[in-house]
Amino acid sequence: MIRIYRQLLVAQIQAAAQYRIQAVLWMLFSIIRPVIFLAAWTAVSAAQGGSVGGYTTSDFAAYYIALTIVGHLTTAWNSFEFEFEVRQGKLSPKLLRPLHPLHYSVVENLIWKVTTFLPLMLVCLVIALTFQVRWSGEWWHLALFVPSIVLAAALSFMIGWVVATATFWLQRINTVNTLLQRTSFIFAGQIAPLSLMPTALQVVSYSLPFAYVLAIPAEILRGGVTLERGLLYLVGQAVWLGLSIVAFRFAWRAGLREYSAVGA
Amino acid sequence: MIRYLRMFRAFAASEFQFEMEYRGNFYLSIFEMFLVIGTSIGAVLIMFGHTTTMNGWTLPEMIVLLGVYYLIQGGVNLVFSPSFERLMEHVRVGTLDFHLLKPVNVQFLVSTRHLRVVRAADLVLGLVVVIVGLLQVGAQIGVAQSLLFALSLFFGVMLVYSLLLGLVTLSFWFVRVENLLAIFWAFTEAGRFPVDVYPLWLRVSLSTIVPIGIAVTAPANAIAGRMDAVGVALLGAGTVLAVGIASALWRRGLKSYTGASA
Repeated sequence: MIRIYRQLLVAQIQAAAQYRIQAVLWMLFSIIRPVIFLAAWTAVSAAQGGSVGGYTTSDFAAYYIALTIVGHLTTAWNSFEFEFEVRQGKLSPKLLRPLHPLHYSVVENLIWKVTTFLPLMLVCLVIALTFQVRWSGEWWHLALFVPSIVLAAALSFMIGWVVATATFWLQRINTVNTLLQRTSFIFAGQIAPLSLMPTALQVVSYSLPFAYVLAIPAEILRGGVTLERGLLYLVGQAVWLGLSIVAFRFAWRAGLREYSAVGA
Repeated sequence: MIRYLRMFRAFAASEFQFEMEYRGNFYLSIFEMFLVIGTSIGAVLIMFGHTTTMNGWTLPEMIVLLGVYYLIQGGVNLVFSPSFERLMEHVRVGTLDFHLLKPVNVQFLVSTRHLRVVRAADLVLGLVVVIVGLLQVGAQIGVAQSLLFALSLFFGVMLVYSLLLGLVTLSFWFVRVENLLAIFWAFTEAGRFPVDVYPLWLRVSLSTIVPIGIAVTAPANAIAGRMDAVGVALLGAGTVLAVGIASALWRRGLKSYTGASA
């Protein structure tokens, strides 16, 4: 398995090197939304005399910069490509290979994140300077962030794949994707840090998987959680990851039986 | 002029028939739009749960602004972006030849030939949101103010149009410009808040490079009575200038088009 992955990595790095500019441009999508909401919250905070519900202006900056980094590292675009592959019948040759199509996607995803990380950090630095960020974390926040971001990226990736399998039944999953994105928009902590949401929405947020992808790792990176709470969050992430893997296996097996190999 | 309007009506009718072939998809798109606008309003409501103003904008004014944002996006996505998508394809494949042979203004043809009819729903929904916001504002809105609003909305759409035309024209020289357009779409999201919220560097890039900031904020300002006739006139002058530059660029680009078999 490790040998296979090493080969795939080399191949993907070569492929990625052809589209350097494109890779950096797509990075903008990770950045723009958090910056927009950061600017809006900064204005709200200014109207309220510098702090809203325990968040100062520089806390907002720290949260949204953390959210930018987390959002970037957890991006998963499988369902878009997968829909295309199913409709065009391009999935069929992939199914004949001895390796599950998921693994190609893992490597592709990893390479993109690694190659765009440096430019992303540069942009984050500019944002940090513009919004006078202050980091209020401890060293263990960073230690906790490492497993948290790995779990979050894996969870987001698996959610993407579970949704992608819907293609087997629906052929076009635009609407499913929009539904997913808008749910995540509300409940993942993009609009506001979770503790600033109305209580009812907070309850929903903590019971859906989306916050475990974005808001929770971002809060950990910002240094906004106690150690106990942070560990509890990690457990939550692990549980959701486990559930999503089970769901994927189930949906994949059922979906393949449904697959009619369009165009083949 | 009448001839062009009639042509546009023919384009719209044929595209409508085409779209109705995929009825399920049509209704789903409308459902998606409800979802998108609903969640966007939700976001604004959550923020205003913590404050009564944001940079001097009240909640009802923000709702109006959001409505304008979807109006402009709807207008652009209804006509210009589907047409321009085809145009880029025509340039790449070389089939623009067929358009050039027709006895009409080519710029008109490539800008309006294709419509995504379902996006008209965005216009309707955006308008509903604007009206709901206005009812909340509660102020008496006079004829003059409505006129200024309509004018600045039109100028806003044309500003975005001229930018899009300019970007798409680049495809005559650089065959792949989809990435530039992708950046443009990424930036448009910033239109959901008034442009004065953003830090200077972002405001400059939003209002000059990507005029969406102006396009959305100006009509919302006009209806809230914060923009007078002089402001709208200035916006109009800027729009005429922008459309002029974009059209000139388009003509330059067309000259360097070499055709399919050349």
